[in-house]
Amino acid sequence: MAGNVIGKSVVRKDALEKVTGAAKYVGDLKFSPMLHAKILRSPYAHARIVSIDTSEAKKLPGVKAVVTGEDFHQYVGLYLVDRTLYAYEKVRYIGEAVAGVAATSPEIAEEAVKLIKVEYEPLPVVLDPEEAMKPDAPLIHEKLHEYKCVPFIFPVPHTNISNHFKIRKGNVEEGFKQSDYIFEDEYYVPHMQHCPIEPHGTIAHMDQKGKITVYNSCQSPNATRKLLSAALNYPVNKIRVIAPYVGGGFGGKAGATIETLVVPLAMKTPGYYVKLIYNREEEFRDTFVRQGMKAYVKTGVTREGKIMAQELKMIWDGGAYTEYGANITRAAGYTSGGPYEIAHMKTDSYCVYTNKPVGGPFRGFGMGELHWALEQQLDQIACKLGIDPVQIRMINACRDGSINACGEKLKDIGLTKCIEKAAEMIGWDKPKEQTPGKVRGRGIACMVKGPAMPPNAGSSAVLKINEDGSANLLITATEIGQGSMTALAQIAAEELGMSVDKIEVALPDTEYTPYEWQTVASRITYSAGNAVIRAARDAKRQLKELAAVGFGVTPEEMDVANDKVFLTANPEKYYTIAELSLGLVLPNGGGVGGPIIGRGSWVPEGLGGLDPETGQGTKAVAHWTFGCQAVEIDVDVETGKIDLVNVAAVYDIGRVINPCMAEGQTQGGIVQGQGVAFHEQMVFDENGKLKNPSFVDYKLINAVEMPRMSIHFVETPLEDGPYGARGFGEHVMVPTAPAIANALYDALGIRVKSLPMTAEKVLKAIKDKNSR
Amino acid sequence: MHQFMYVKPKDITEAVRILAENGEKVRVLAGGTDLIVRMVDKIWKPEVVIDIKGLTGLSGIREIDNYGVAIGAATPLNEIIGHPLIQQHFAVLAEGAHEIGSCQIRNRATLGGNLCNASPLADTAPALLVLDAVAVVQGEEERLIPMTEFFAGPGKTILARGELLKEIRIPYLPTESKGIYYKHARTKAVDLASVGVAVLALKPGEIRIALGAVAPTPVRAKKAEAFLSGKEITTGVIKEAVALVQEEVSPITDIRATEEYRREIIAVLVRRGLYEIQKFLRGE
Ligand SMILES: Cc1cc2nc3c(=O)[nH]c(=O)nc-3n(C[C@H](O)[C@H](O)[C@H](O)COP(=O)(O)OP(=O)(O)OC[C@H]3O[C@@H](n4cnc5c(N)ncnc54)[C@H](O)[C@@H]3O)c2cc1C
Repeated sequence: MAGNVIGKSVVRKDALEKVTGAAKYVGDLKFSPMLHAKILRSPYAHARIVSIDTSEAKKLPGVKAVVTGEDFHQYVGLYLVDRTLYAYEKVRYIGEAVAGVAATSPEIAEEAVKLIKVEYEPLPVVLDPEEAMKPDAPLIHEKLHEYKCVPFIFPVPHTNISNHFKIRKGNVEEGFKQSDYIFEDEYYVPHMQHCPIEPHGTIAHMDQKGKITVYNSCQSPNATRKLLSAALNYPVNKIRVIAPYVGGGFGGKAGATIETLVVPLAMKTPGYYVKLIYNREEEFRDTFVRQGMKAYVKTGVTREGKIMAQELKMIWDGGAYTEYGANITRAAGYTSGGPYEIAHMKTDSYCVYTNKPVGGPFRGFGMGELHWALEQQLDQIACKLGIDPVQIRMINACRDGSINACGEKLKDIGLTKCIEKAAEMIGWDKPKEQTPGKVRGRGIACMVKGPAMPPNAGSSAVLKINEDGSANLLITATEIGQGSMTALAQIAAEELGMSVDKIEVALPDTEYTPYEWQTVASRITYSAGNAVIRAARDAKRQLKELAAVGFGVTPEEMDVANDKVFLTANPEKYYTIAELSLGLVLPNGGGVGGPIIGRGSWVPEGLGGLDPETGQGTKAVAHWTFGCQAVEIDVDVETGKIDLVNVAAVYDIGRVINPCMAEGQTQGGIVQGQGVAFHEQMVFDENGKLKNPSFVDYKLINAVEMPRMSIHFVETPLEDGPYGARGFGEHVMVPTAPAIANALYDALGIRVKSLPMTAEKVLKAIKDKNSR
Repeated sequence: MHQFMYVKPKDITEAVRILAENGEKVRVLAGGTDLIVRMVDKIWKPEVVIDIKGLTGLSGIREIDNYGVAIGAATPLNEIIGHPLIQQHFAVLAEGAHEIGSCQIRNRATLGGNLCNASPLADTAPALLVLDAVAVVQGEEERLIPMTEFFAGPGKTILARGELLKEIRIPYLPTESKGIYYKHARTKAVDLASVGVAVLALKPGEIRIALGAVAPTPVRAKKAEAFLSGKEITTGVIKEAVALVQEEVSPITDIRATEEYRREIIAVLVRRGLYEIQKFLRGE
């Protein structure tokens, strides 16, 4: 027996502090003595650094340290170690950090940055990844072949290709032969920015003993610590990463970015706290961006609409460094069948260096880009064959027993239920309402995603039971707005039979909170959730053992609920959790046991590698989460402007831990997907300079533009998920854009295959169609 | 931000004196929604910033007998939008002002700031142009400048050294009227216009049209107005009027829209405006 808080809309643990503005973020922290950092950035997209003269900057009163790639050019990187802390010998994009200054005020730091003289020798700039792939293209990383990388990333030496992931399943030529029709098309997604409300910020400090402490707006305290440790050849236990509240991450605060600039400055100024908070321009350009992607899709189908074969080439615009991005191209590769079962597949996913900002993780981890292509392609097929778009998805949907792109046999899949439900909720079979002056369209798109991570990405949790019967849950998952604090407290409460209000969840501090790989991959409820279950069960076991001693019975005769440990056979006989928290006190006053600490560790089991030539294996990721969105749009045919009117979203998330938060997460995802669909894109000029590094011309969705959203969850339990729960935080933004594109076709018979679907592009498509 | 001197003058006379003394080095601060942004971005680095918020004679809305309404340059937009005199007589200005930024921005942003900032896309400008508003400029002396002559180019007004925009006067319209402001932007709120169109009709048959974001300054479409004057508004007439408007604008291509698209939108918005006007003139 346990609590009953799973499936309840428990109020967010962080709600009050955040709503009142009391919550502290890195930018709010002040220390003494403090220094302020500023970064000198490259004006060239590709150039050789001939010389750097920092002498004038160092002379400026108030300047305490100036660092450059001369001092700090150690390599850093999560999957492919290709980035130096500061630019060294070369710069590879406009904005790359060339030097850092720490000074007593931000103004002095800025003044000093201007005094640094850098001589550059411009090199040919490569902005188009398809150009960059050509054999005679200028090399952006001459030493690619020397870089360290994880075993599942495959750089192509002496080229700009930093990863080539392949799927060879069945026999694609045979599959095309068995097809009645073959469809070929191209789709494009531009670079995007995460746009968290709080920009990246770091305060770093090194004490006299050499201990480095980093206060960090980050998603991954442990990964940041490890990356710093590896780069600086510094003991892990001499680096401490503390993450206060984080004002949104969306992937951009995973791994390490800004930290690698600030820590070197702190190492040069022991005793000082060096603070750097990115301005919005830096936030847009100098952290991670979502990579651009061009997809070439060839699909063979039977006249009944069954997909027989798919050949897919994805060319990713990886940017100047692909230390993290390389793994996105792999994830999109092993998911390249999308939510459908395809017998014969050939996929080539190329991560390509270009002289653009650094590509990296972004909510969806490649799935938004992949499904933009696949879901429109399938829709085109349906329309040409005269098959209903819902029907064609039902025909091809993955089900129990389906074999996915990597040869994994799937089970516990609820996709068809999602499709049927989404269609019903949007009123697929009902006549459309009309808005005067507009044309209404309906569209649908599905998606799938798994948590992309190394096979051994682990989680751990510590649960301390206190004297008053309360508990502290120590974890290193970061609360980036997704509600992890609350969900994990619910899980601990459920297991311990403790009321959720009594559980206090710590903010990460690698010194005291236990290991967590990263807060990414929609994996916290799933992975950390499992560790919390184990920690709570461990504490529960100890409580039962102590109570059993007290009652002279065996632990198996005890149970825990309602903050009590009681005899199952006679619940009147109990100890409160408080009474046992520091151990059992015997009638004679002596103690047994001692303070109770539960510990839990977890790693998904049974994951393995994929064959490098075929991408075939058994299990590429821990689990898959499927979902479907159907939308209704109104198009103004004179201006090309699209209004998103209604959205029905259905996801199979295994088990809903907190309905209110699950719904909120989905709403946020839909709206972010809407931004992707209509507005979001980073625009570069011909020299590689970002033209819109601010919200003036990089538009997000406003509250007034949000659609009506109906949200539903299917619950097909996941075998190893906590209470059956699956990850879904990223998934909810993936199908919005392709569903809208499909609705546009439904409305007007036009297709926009490159994102975003701006009013201008839509109007042009309308005119092109009319003139045909 | 760089260091600067902040001055809060006690009255308009002192403000004007400080302006005259400091020339290029000084900037007026009203709501600051343009000024502060540019100072943070280091586009402007004034040595002196003079804050005119709340100065007597610069804020508030008053009626001028037998003429119309005067709006102090430092009046926040939300005050203008909600004011009964504006709602009753010059709703098109309220519509234009309401298109600016967000509610929070409009609580701070002033009418004078929007005009003196002199962006070609200023959302209050087309309405003031069709309303034949007059700018009251205060230097050593006071001068009255018709709004049609107030803008000198992108970011430039006719204000000379030592001059301040004091207020905007709008004459009552002589007959029953209807005004409309249409803004085309990428998002429905907090976005800059790619095209703004104000159309005003006065019974029996006068029509005025002004546009923003399609020329170096906000412009009146005088040729189209002359063509429309006294004519019955038919589909054919609208078509010709739209063509004339196109001759009077010179839109550019920028990150928000191409020239071609701007022209498409100009046509759509002018047409839509004129169809609304047609209904009004026909008494529908
Ligand atoms: C998020 C955001 C969204 C915005 N959206 C829009 C929009 O949709 N449409 C739009 O048109 N604008 C928009 N703006 C721009 C701005 O808000 C408006 O132009 C606003 O009206 C400026 O008024 P202010 O009082 O804040 O001007 P300030 O910033 O105080 O001043 C602007 C300029 O005018 C000068 N000035 C101000 N008052 C006087 C005076 N009385 N005499 C002489 N000079 C003076 C100042 O020196 C400065 O050069 C937006 C701004 C922001 C930050």
